[in-house]
Amino acid sequence: MTLKINVNHLNLFYGNKQALFDVSLGFPEFQTTALIGPSGCGKSSFLRCLNRMNDIIPNAHVDGQVLLDDKDIYAPSVDVVELRTHVGMVFQKPNPFPRSIYENVAYGPRIHSLFKSKADLDQIVEKSLVRAGLWEEVKDRLYQPATRLSGGQQQRLCIARAIAVNPEVILMDEPCSALDPIATAKVEELIDELRERFTIVIVTHNLQQAARVSQQTAFFHSGYLVEAGETGALFTIPQDARTQGYITGRYG
Amino acid sequence: MTKILKKRHRKEKWFRRMGLISLALALLFLGVIFGDIFYKGYPAFLRTEIFVDSGRNDLLNPHAPYHFNKGIQWIIASDDVDMYMKHGHQGKLSQNQIQVLENLKKKDQIRLTFNWGFFTHSDSREPELAGIWGSLWGSLLTLIVTCLTAFPLGIGTALYLEEFAPKNRLTYLIEANINNLAAVPSIIFGLLGLVFFIHFMHLPRPSAVVGGLTLGLMSLPVIVVATRAALSSVPSSLKEAALGLGATPLQVLFHHVVPYALPGIMTGVILSFARALGETAPLLMIGMVAFIATPPSSFLDPATVLPVQIFNWSRSPELGFIENTSGAIIILLVMISFFNGIAILIRKKFES
Repeated sequence: MTLKINVNHLNLFYGNKQALFDVSLGFPEFQTTALIGPSGCGKSSFLRCLNRMNDIIPNAHVDGQVLLDDKDIYAPSVDVVELRTHVGMVFQKPNPFPRSIYENVAYGPRIHSLFKSKADLDQIVEKSLVRAGLWEEVKDRLYQPATRLSGGQQQRLCIARAIAVNPEVILMDEPCSALDPIATAKVEELIDELRERFTIVIVTHNLQQAARVSQQTAFFHSGYLVEAGETGALFTIPQDARTQGYITGRYG
Repeated sequence: MTKILKKRHRKEKWFRRMGLISLALALLFLGVIFGDIFYKGYPAFLRTEIFVDSGRNDLLNPHAPYHFNKGIQWIIASDDVDMYMKHGHQGKLSQNQIQVLENLKKKDQIRLTFNWGFFTHSDSREPELAGIWGSLWGSLLTLIVTCLTAFPLGIGTALYLEEFAPKNRLTYLIEANINNLAAVPSIIFGLLGLVFFIHFMHLPRPSAVVGGLTLGLMSLPVIVVATRAALSSVPSSLKEAALGLGATPLQVLFHHVVPYALPGIMTGVILSFARALGETAPLLMIGMVAFIATPPSSFLDPATVLPVQIFNWSRSPELGFIENTSGAIIILLVMISFFNGIAILIRKKFES
């Protein structure tokens, strides 16, 4: 089992405040890793280290290594724009662009010039929407504003938008927290299908969700990675008392 | 409990009533102002003309001799005659002249027609010949200079400050000062224009270029503040979405942030444009108050603008100029309402 991403001794600071302490974690290729933990434990901050989204926060500072295919993404030679074509992201709240459904999916390929002709682009859009399980619902209204879709559809559109640039890793920051149970089920199903082609990292508050969709789970607490391991094992025989407390609902 | 509830409801009722009363008062004042302006101003759009063969040159405008033998049938009457025809004021007219006028009326050799000259003539010492053409041109040239300087500079400054500038003590200081500048009285900007553009840069004195640059300085802080407000209302989730797809900060800005903020930016820009159109005080400081009887043909020619024209006319003693003042105010109000209307339309169009 190869590791797609390997994080070594990562520390994250916001100004003088340290948000992550010496985190080391590997992400196996074509598997889903769930990051769980109480609010403010640093799991979202950690996720954002993996595609350098923290760069946009003034005076955020990272030290340590994040290796994507054995290359450090924080090395000075790395272009963050290129990095993000390899590591896509889906956010907590569905955030489609206020444009048509088609344009939402086509945006990534457009800015990176990933197509040769209009037909080519049409195909990318269709393929991405099919993979996101949205094609059947929107194929007749591709040119309508994306904001008219329901919340769950919008989130799947955001997933389609992310996979249209053909990334290797998809980061998901609580992708279902704004969705109803049925839409959540659809997205979870989708995550399971996407695993065949992508390495997925998902932050979630929902422990059942972590258990359902992930193969590996990592538990964070106050900026420390407490425990990580195969999902089934972590939920049934947690090694650390804090993990046990969290997954049995004693706090969180 | 029910007693307190009643009291609460009563308070609410009172609050609503107060609101209605103040609204009614505001509308009343507005109505009185507009009513007064229109009542005094509409005669400015009419003028008295006398048939060319009447033989009484003393009833015509002082420039009439230039118009004889040019095949013109009707000659503009003097302002005294005009006032007599419109309002019955005798003014400086003698009994004999009034007699003649009454005879002309019977013979249909005197008439009130639409005052085209008010729109096609420039300023004049004679109220019956004065018009707004020259000052309209002056306003146009001045505002072109304002648009070309203040809009790109203001929007560019706002884009940089909001999206790229590091947030530190220096940028905080700059921001605070821009907000303060937006509240500086416009006449101070006139002083700045006088000192900088005229005394230091030696630009020609009452010209459109100096006026436009001065108004540009005045509009800059307002445009920066309005643009920044529009930019900061763009949800960060939108920027994150684009960044997450690998867009560069510049692409995020021009593909997503600016289109989203455009209605707000446009509204701010058009409102500051309308304010510049109606601004008088700073232009008085830089000498655009001079009497200018020919429309400016370039940005460097002596020029005046519509609000300054109004100011000039309002200081003249002739009754005809009172009409002209109100008439020009009507034109200015129509133009400003037009631009504000455009701002509203743009907002509505982009909101839907």
